[in-house]
Amino acid sequence: MEIAKDEYASHTAYDELLDSGLKPRPAAQPLFDYLNSLNDGELAKRRQAVDATIMAMGITFTVYSEAGNIDRVWPFDPVPRVMGRKEWESIQAGLKQRLRALNLFINDLYNEQRIIKDGVFPAEVLEDSANYRPQCVGITPRFGVWAHICGTDLVRDKDGTVYVLEDNLRVPSGVSYMLENRQIMKRIFPEVVRTTNSLPVDDYPTQLYQMLASLSPREGEQPVIAVLTPGIYNSAYFEHSYLAQQMGAYLVEGSDMVVGADDIVYMKTITGLQRVDVIYRRIDDAFLDPEVFNPDSVLGTPGLMRAWRKGNVGIANAPGAGVADDKVVYTFVPQIIKYYLDEEPILANVPSYLCMIEEQRDYVLANLDKLVVKPANESGGYGMLIGPRATPEEREQFAELIRKDPRNYMAQPTLEISTAPTLVDGELAPRHLDLRPFVLQSDQLYATTGGLTRVAMRKGSLVVNSSQGGGSKDTWIVEDAA
Amino acid sequence: MMLARVAENLYWMARNLERAENTARLINSTTYVLLDLPHGATFGWKNLAEIAGLDDLFAKTYPEANEESIMRFLIEDEANPSSIFACVRYARENTRTLREVLPAEMWERINSLYLYVRQNAQAACKSRRERYIILNEIIQQRHAIVGLFSGTMPHDDAYHLIKLGRNIERADMTTRILDLHSAISFPDDSVVRESLVERIWMSTLESLSAYQTYRRLVSMHVRNNDGVRFLLQDMRFPRSVSHCLSEMEACFRLMPKSQQLQQLTALLRIKIAQHNTANLDAVALHEYIDVLQMQLGEIHDALLQNYFHAWQDGVLPSGQAQGEIEFAQQ
Repeated sequence: MEIAKDEYASHTAYDELLDSGLKPRPAAQPLFDYLNSLNDGELAKRRQAVDATIMAMGITFTVYSEAGNIDRVWPFDPVPRVMGRKEWESIQAGLKQRLRALNLFINDLYNEQRIIKDGVFPAEVLEDSANYRPQCVGITPRFGVWAHICGTDLVRDKDGTVYVLEDNLRVPSGVSYMLENRQIMKRIFPEVVRTTNSLPVDDYPTQLYQMLASLSPREGEQPVIAVLTPGIYNSAYFEHSYLAQQMGAYLVEGSDMVVGADDIVYMKTITGLQRVDVIYRRIDDAFLDPEVFNPDSVLGTPGLMRAWRKGNVGIANAPGAGVADDKVVYTFVPQIIKYYLDEEPILANVPSYLCMIEEQRDYVLANLDKLVVKPANESGGYGMLIGPRATPEEREQFAELIRKDPRNYMAQPTLEISTAPTLVDGELAPRHLDLRPFVLQSDQLYATTGGLTRVAMRKGSLVVNSSQGGGSKDTWIVEDAA
Repeated sequence: MMLARVAENLYWMARNLERAENTARLINSTTYVLLDLPHGATFGWKNLAEIAGLDDLFAKTYPEANEESIMRFLIEDEANPSSIFACVRYARENTRTLREVLPAEMWERINSLYLYVRQNAQAACKSRRERYIILNEIIQQRHAIVGLFSGTMPHDDAYHLIKLGRNIERADMTTRILDLHSAISFPDDSVVRESLVERIWMSTLESLSAYQTYRRLVSMHVRNNDGVRFLLQDMRFPRSVSHCLSEMEACFRLMPKSQQLQQLTALLRIKIAQHNTANLDAVALHEYIDVLQMQLGEIHDALLQNYFHAWQDGVLPSGQAQGEIEFAQQ
């Protein structure tokens, strides 16, 4: 197996698997020993087997159009991303710390708002938040936890520092691909998964089930758990169905449920109505309950909020949890951790400039060609300006947007995010990647072993989103060499 | 406990898979019959669409009924909801919504079947030789799917609904394959006629994988409507209408609130057992088959009402019921 030396020669980013002399890092050594033992024909054969497996397993994105449904195969790179256990455990501790603090923060915002009264968090940020739900004021869900499932995006900069890019607290997706990626590797490269001692990832569905079950209002009884999906036309439907299957939960659509005058949620079964205890919802707040939010929503179930407020049903993530999933709130997370936990943040935030603060705004406007500017409430890379790659006209237009609505924008220096060797035309070429671990919280905290590694398959590209040509790799956390 | 929507999808998934297999069988059986036809006997292609109950739909799209147009219509035409391709595609779409209640490998098997049909449907329309091989492969893959169901699924309501869908569709199709004979006009010579009828019966039985069983259980010869009796009444043969009905009865017995459905199914099975098939001529048989298909339709409707729309009968708890639920919570 050859390393694409030309591409690596002009390469300045940190590489996850190779050091600057293109030697495998210690954690990746056993993997490279294995790759070197394969001849080119063998790897090509496995590559084909990977594609056939993905097709047969039906791990696809579905693009629906009037001409019919097109299943796009989930692009998968067979070279895993490897990380040593020690480094991972420190990241894991940081992820748990972060989610614990964020949940205290959300619960405070919907109740006493101590953090605002103490002057640590500005009231105007909250007032302008698109994801703040006045309908949730005064509620404390069980364990005081609002964001039960968090997908945190991590990147590594040139100097090796791992940064949190964002906390996805609404309906983060991708965990099923993390699980399926390992399944594919086990099928196609059984010998290597075994010899490199990568830690298993497959306890996630059990952990998710236990977390959801802990939210059931009927303690001591086997809870009825439902995964609420917008339906088969949603691009993440595969994941909704996969998780329901793995947990033995019911996969429901909004129209499968009704809420009675008793404020209890029921689902429509072959023998009549059956009580639902916990809903893992995969639809946004706005569509959850037409009685309270968007009245035109046909995806939700009228009355869910009534039932939830009365404590008759657990909903994960809780409605309103998205208030902390905001790029401006993000910049306050280090202070939030200090304020609630009295601890130093374990994971670094990317240095950020808030356009709502005058001096910082001036700096951003003067340095647009060096910065990435993001709107507060968008996800998936929409509405962003990547300064160094934009034209002067684009930058001027964006400056105007920032002046009009400063609260809605924050800026960060452009990071040179890390790469890992990726199979391209029979060679291992560097491609940029990020990592999305998943963190669970109810009465306990849990973080996945590794997470979903997303990789930009195009040379030089920094966009890892699956809708824009991104793919993924299996993520291995391995025992450190003694 | 099962969602009404999920139950309905399971039932249709099973019906669609069974229909795809049976259409493959119907076509193979026709090909056998064709090969056996002597000069003087003719086969009406149009009648094949009629047997499948699709003559109106066929006439809308195809100006002429010949082997090629009928094969395209029955095998690959997406606009025909009963074509093999359409059935497999529906079954796959159904399965997509059912992954959480089915064994994990089920999706892979049904997905592979779909990919196979999509790739080979066109070739199957063109040449008789390839058609036989491809349709047989479809039947084989479907067997693997049924094997997976019975070997890995817990025998819960989901399992019973799949079995119900499979057996009602199978019973229906067995009656249709029986009707194949009405598509043939025989020569007048009564000696030629008698041996020809027997040979066609053998082909029919063969297409249902029933010939060997028939010879072992009934007779070396297929005369005097013995074949009709076998396919309608013989409880030992798994594709006979009576056997399918008794399988359905067994499922209903294990399903909730199924009294009426049990009775309806048992009644039809008894009526079939009591029907004297020996003297039915082709016309009378054709009419009798119509009646049977209608009665199977009644069971289907009752099942829909009973399980898939059952929640509508459940009055939302309020007043007194609310008190009960609160009590139960404490």
